[in-house]
Amino acid sequence: MTPNIAVIRIESPHWRGFGLWIPLFLLWIPLILLSPIILLVLLGVCIGFRVSFLRTIRVCWDIVCSLPGTDVRVCADRSKVLVRVL
Amino acid sequence: MNENRRQILEMLAAGKITADEAERLIAALEPGTATTVGEYSGAVNGSNVAAAAVKTRAKYLRVLVEADETMTGMKGATTVNVRVPMQLLRAGVRLASLIPAQAHEHLDEALSRHGVPLTLSQIKPENLEELIDHLEDLTVDVDGKEGNMTKVKVFCE
Repeated sequence: MTPNIAVIRIESPHWRGFGLWIPLFLLWIPLILLSPIILLVLLGVCIGFRVSFLRTIRVCWDIVCSLPGTDVRVCADRSKVLVRVL
Repeated sequence: MNENRRQILEMLAAGKITADEAERLIAALEPGTATTVGEYSGAVNGSNVAAAAVKTRAKYLRVLVEADETMTGMKGATTVNVRVPMQLLRAGVRLASLIPAQAHEHLDEALSRHGVPLTLSQIKPENLEELIDHLEDLTVDVDGKEGNMTKVKVFCE
């Protein structure tokens, strides 16, 4: 399953914190529109580095699909940063 | 009857496990039951079959770091809590298969220069998959001592 939403939350004692819900599924629209160009560039890079084009596509797809569930929370200097991929 | 269920009942009949342990093992076999990795591995000593049967695959690798002010120089405690899906690790190691052949020599040279005599071309994707699979049994606990309150925990869940 591809990631649908990314949540970014930043809190700091010095200024008002904020939270962002980024709808990643909306990125599909420009991505599909630009896919011919992206694929051509990727093909050129794969040929240049003598790497299998199909394998590259598969690995990239696997990485994108395995992103949901990633959760990073850092608390330092009384500031908090949270990044979640849903 | 399910083979795993039969084995658990046989162990119960043989007196290897208690009725309570058998109940928990059977409950763990039910689909949709969440079981912590290795939760039952110690419950049935001497029976690797049943332990393996109920052991579920870990979904995430968790890294927890806690450091106090003396370590970081920052105000308050510093904590890092990272949860990485195991699937992402698997996909990440597959990236190794995309490293161009001409880059292997440079990487091998650089690694050996830094005291890591490793030949990347000898590492196959299936070896890396195996490595990830064995990460599920990994638990790292690091505790600081004598005033150093840094704690590091790495485990799968």
